[in-house]
Amino acid sequence: MLKFALSRLAAAIPTLLIVSVSVFCLIRLIPGDPASLMLGDLADAASLADLRARLGLDEPIHVQFGIWIGNALTGDLGRSITSQQEVLPLLLARLAVSAEIVLIAVVLAAIVAVPLGMVAAWRQGGMIDLALVGTATLLLSIPAFWMGLLLLLLFVLHLGWLPLIGYVPIRQDFTQGLLYVILPVATLFLHEVGVILRMSRASTLEILRLDYILHARAKGLSEPAILWRHAFRNAFGPTWTLLGIILGNLLGGVAVIETVFAIPGLGRLLIEAIFARDYPVIQGCLLLIATMYVLVNLVVDLLYPLFDPRVTAQ
Amino acid sequence: MRTILISTLMLGMLGAPATAQTIVASIAQDVRSTNPGVNRDDTTDGVVLHMVEGLVGYREDGSVGPLLAKSVEMSADGLTYTFPLRDGVTFHNGASLTAEDVLWNWARYMDPATEWRCLAEFDGRNGVKVEDISAPDPMTIVMRINKPNAVFLDALARTDCGMAGILHPDSLAADGSWDRPIGTGPYKFAAWKRGESFEMVAFDGYVSPPGDKPDGYVGAKTPRAEAIRLHVISDPETIKAGLLSGTLDLAAVASTDVPMFRSNTDFNVADSMDASKHTLSLQTADPLMSNVALRQAIAAAIDLPMLVAQVTNGMGQPNASAVFPQSMYYSDIQKQQFGHDPARVRDLLAEAGYKGEPITIIANKRPTTPSFETAVVAQAMMQAAGINAKIEVMEWATQLSRYFSGNYQMMSFSYSSRFDPALSFEQFSGPFDGKSGKVWHNPEALALIDEVKAVSDPARRQAIFDALHQMYLNDVPMIIYSNGLNDIVTSARLTGDVSWQSKLRLWEVTKQ
Repeated sequence: MLKFALSRLAAAIPTLLIVSVSVFCLIRLIPGDPASLMLGDLADAASLADLRARLGLDEPIHVQFGIWIGNALTGDLGRSITSQQEVLPLLLARLAVSAEIVLIAVVLAAIVAVPLGMVAAWRQGGMIDLALVGTATLLLSIPAFWMGLLLLLLFVLHLGWLPLIGYVPIRQDFTQGLLYVILPVATLFLHEVGVILRMSRASTLEILRLDYILHARAKGLSEPAILWRHAFRNAFGPTWTLLGIILGNLLGGVAVIETVFAIPGLGRLLIEAIFARDYPVIQGCLLLIATMYVLVNLVVDLLYPLFDPRVTAQ
Repeated sequence: MRTILISTLMLGMLGAPATAQTIVASIAQDVRSTNPGVNRDDTTDGVVLHMVEGLVGYREDGSVGPLLAKSVEMSADGLTYTFPLRDGVTFHNGASLTAEDVLWNWARYMDPATEWRCLAEFDGRNGVKVEDISAPDPMTIVMRINKPNAVFLDALARTDCGMAGILHPDSLAADGSWDRPIGTGPYKFAAWKRGESFEMVAFDGYVSPPGDKPDGYVGAKTPRAEAIRLHVISDPETIKAGLLSGTLDLAAVASTDVPMFRSNTDFNVADSMDASKHTLSLQTADPLMSNVALRQAIAAAIDLPMLVAQVTNGMGQPNASAVFPQSMYYSDIQKQQFGHDPARVRDLLAEAGYKGEPITIIANKRPTTPSFETAVVAQAMMQAAGINAKIEVMEWATQLSRYFSGNYQMMSFSYSSRFDPALSFEQFSGPFDGKSGKVWHNPEALALIDEVKAVSDPARRQAIFDALHQMYLNDVPMIIYSNGLNDIVTSARLTGDVSWQSKLRLWEVTKQ
């Protein structure tokens, strides 16, 4: 297991290197540079040249990359051009915000959607199946930002139950933190529950058609026992993989939801950095996102044998 | 369970809305830094200038008045400026303001390590050099410059220069790095949650400049609220919900939302005009656009009042001048505009030898400027007049890059505020170098701009500005069509003018 994990991590190094080089080069190929954006129309040629030199943008691109990658290997991702903050602590602080919302939403969505998907599969073609699949499809079809706005209008504007603006980490103040994350979590939850439910249903349907389920029924086992003891573990594998992909995606940024609820998360930071051509932040964000993808999928792969013993880490 | 849930919610809600005396506003972007004139944008300037003040500041007519100074005296040769300081002014930490503090600040600003964006305005690189600064007594500052300059005080008052704000030395950390602003402004720095919110509290020891009402950045400046909390919110729908729910006391809203708020008695809407210029810039170095008859044809094809009405939902005022309408230099001549004359367009196009070559208007879709909307309306008007106009939309950073390089024909572009008309003309005038974005290269105009920067006599300046405006109307290096307009919605709980020049100005604003 350890060997497998280490080899996967080692295999990730070239991936991260390719990501670094691509991001570094591509962002510089886009017209526009941070110096002119910072000075705007007030810039004269001399101030522009001064600022570019101060930001190190006048160096050849391979020199800039060499400096950046050298520092990155020591954990120094540089400083944000716009806010002057150190990039690594900035990224970690923003990731903590996004992760809090995403983890709560995805865990809740999985807890609700996996059993419901199995029930839908169990009652395939019936009213329960129709209702669940219909609801899942509806939730899946509603854009997350629109769902967020609807929730905001209902719970903030009309009912006045929840605060609109602000963010307090749950680990800092549970009650306040909960209040501020309810709506973004609910928005993500409602969206992801549809995705997970459909996957859970589809994989359960496949399993329920296999001979060993027929055999279990022939032995007279109850339906709940068949579903839980025999179908669940085998059916959960694909859903587990999907959860990994969803987590990787969402941790990389839920910019739209963060914008609607004015939450200072990683996605919003990345979007703002792209518009401001804040190269160190963009590079740091994308490297972090790529690393998270690798790690989340590694964890998913390592835990997979727990659900399906036929699959081994080797 | 239900009781617990409701209690929890109620408990949480206590912390959400503002206290009675806290003005809560939204800002579209986070503050960049609290270091005046160093790492800044318009939002940052608006916030920082609640906490720091300079020797002089802008009045509402664009002239410069004393702020921390009691008065400003210029010597007969125009080289020496004397600033006696106001008595009783203290910093937020209780220390009294003295001339020594001003000397310390000036030395800090002139140190390249400070990275003050306006260093070039005072070290001779842009013409003016402060050759000497001294304190003949503890409450007087004297500055001597290298040559007479009519915009020296203007440069000191510039908001993007942080008003050359006077800070207490404790604003720096022990290692000399920036810590926090300890200024003399009506509000004190309280807290900053990056990406989320910025908070200031009233400075109890504030000594307001004389005046019975605010006058730009001078005049009455007493803090009337206990605190100001600014939330970073970029989504227009969230801002709207914030206002309607009472969470926000004021915010800039999209012009399409203005009618809704106007019809609601719980809100007031202020159309805040500023000196920024919305323009259709014509790149006169482009082979096609270098033809002055063609540029005149384009100007005659565009119905300015209709264009402005379209892009501002009827709320903007057309202005074709580089001088903003509130300026003391906005004369009757400055009110002259390009005449909309479709018949003349035909003649001018024939004179220009125009054969239907495409003319591309570059625009962006930033929500803060009507760039794209303007391009669409201008394209329609030009096409109706027989000019083959096309639109190319690009992201702002890309457009800015094209602007500086001069690689374009037409561009829907907005210039930031310049109060002194000389600086406003200078924004778009200069030799073409492919680096600085200048579009008006007329040597006669450039000479007049240089001259007016050295002239202090208002009558002479007015004459030069009027001459420049008439030359500009004839040369058509760009089509200025209106000034910036921000629609600020305020809760009826607030009284007072909450913004000036599209920046927050929350002193003398009370909350019921």
